[in-house]
Amino acid sequence: MEKILIKDGILVEGPDGVTLAANRCKSCGRVYFPKSKFCLDCHGDELADLPLSKRGRLFSYTMPGMPSSHFKPPYAVGFVEIPEGLRIFGPLDIIADQPFKIGMQMEVHEDILWTEGEKEYIGFRFRPI
Amino acid sequence: MMRDVYIIGVGQSTFGKLSDRTAADLGLEAVSEAIKDAGIRPQDIRVAYGARQFDAATTAQSILKGVGVAAIEMVNVENACAGGATAVRGLWKDIAFGLYDMGVAVGVESMTTSSIAGKLIPPQKDDLDGHLGLTFPTYFALIARRLMETHGAAAEDFALVSVKNHHHGCLNPRAQYRKEFTVEQVLASFMVADPITLLECCPNTDGAAAVIMCSKDVAMRYTTKPVKIAASVLLSGDYFFKKADLTSITLGKNATRMAYEMAGIGPEDLDLIELHDAFACEEIIHYEDMGICKPGEGIKLLRSGATALGGKIPVNPSGGLLSLGHPLAASGVRVIGELALHLRNQAGKRQVPNAKVGMAQMLGGMDNGLEAGAAGIHILTI
Repeated sequence: MEKILIKDGILVEGPDGVTLAANRCKSCGRVYFPKSKFCLDCHGDELADLPLSKRGRLFSYTMPGMPSSHFKPPYAVGFVEIPEGLRIFGPLDIIADQPFKIGMQMEVHEDILWTEGEKEYIGFRFRPI
Repeated sequence: MMRDVYIIGVGQSTFGKLSDRTAADLGLEAVSEAIKDAGIRPQDIRVAYGARQFDAATTAQSILKGVGVAAIEMVNVENACAGGATAVRGLWKDIAFGLYDMGVAVGVESMTTSSIAGKLIPPQKDDLDGHLGLTFPTYFALIARRLMETHGAAAEDFALVSVKNHHHGCLNPRAQYRKEFTVEQVLASFMVADPITLLECCPNTDGAAAVIMCSKDVAMRYTTKPVKIAASVLLSGDYFFKKADLTSITLGKNATRMAYEMAGIGPEDLDLIELHDAFACEEIIHYEDMGICKPGEGIKLLRSGATALGGKIPVNPSGGLLSLGHPLAASGVRVIGELALHLRNQAGKRQVPNAKVGMAQMLGGMDNGLEAGAAGIHILTI
């Protein structure tokens, strides 16, 4: 199977394993995921790479009854708040004995999100911990 | 120097699943009605703005050739759900700044014959959130969940918006769905994305709406009661990362504030509002963003009945997108025409009594990294 990252540069190997790859503006401190070429806030052009914390808190969630482009029900999606000050949208792992609750701890992990023929599309999911 | 701009004619086509009709045909129905309503000759129209999102191509030309109008300046625009408001805003500028004395703005959508009919809109290649599963219903479900967390909303409140707007729709002969629902029926409909159910989502619809606009001296030749456009605002969305929470739409809030300033009024002066209720939960957010209640009190305002017909500030007396359906680019023009009917005391069974000031809002569009696409706000007075 050919492995394809759904968007270049979104994942990085951090001290605790694979995590989301962000960058931070050296002038104003604004953090970007996915990485930004320049600061969209202060227009500074110097940004430093910043692997994000793997853990954050669930900000909102839903379990759609209708499909999205690559997922069929049952699936869950939501926003997770990361300590670096970002709110990140992504698919959530559904775990039987851990119902979703706003504020619960979530951890990001690399995963195959969907396959098309001989191609595996790689991205990330958040799992309750 | 800027001139005041007036609306002297409004028209709307049938709204519904009309796959046997072309967009031009729907537009023609709306424009013909607006011309008749204004009492003008088609050849008095000197400029035209057409709005359409799907498979748009020379929209205004394809419509106006049907009423004998060609070889004038025609501009076609696309701005997602705010496309119709964008057309009105464009025409407003042309007349306000004296380029033309009279023109038409028409919004039309034939969703059922478009290239996306019956399909999910595929995300753009670089739309990360779209590939990760973000759709309009899921986004508004995530918003609804936050309203439940921070605003004391219950699933019944979202259903109540749908019940209210469907009740209004029953009074509007132009609504696609004229049917009363109970809170229980709304909650029992298909769960699109919890907590949002099917009857809390606007349907896909074909339709068109048009308005004839002109300068004051021209307006006075046709009517003694022209409706004035007291504010016309168009604004695009800021970056998503600047957003504090999901329970306020900064774009709508800022555009509304600009409109109040331009009209020299405040929310307390409004007699009615027509707004983007593509999803029932968002109506509550717009109450707060428009300042018709204090922040955090949208649920209280809804439950009080103030936003229903007969209440202090009726919202979506037409029936809203929830019961009229949402032909995207048509809706932004349709809400402006709806206000004009109320201000002229011609809105039939859904008439807001003694309406003098109304606000029409249409916003929408989703682009990865931005809060929303565009918002158009118009305040009308008589």
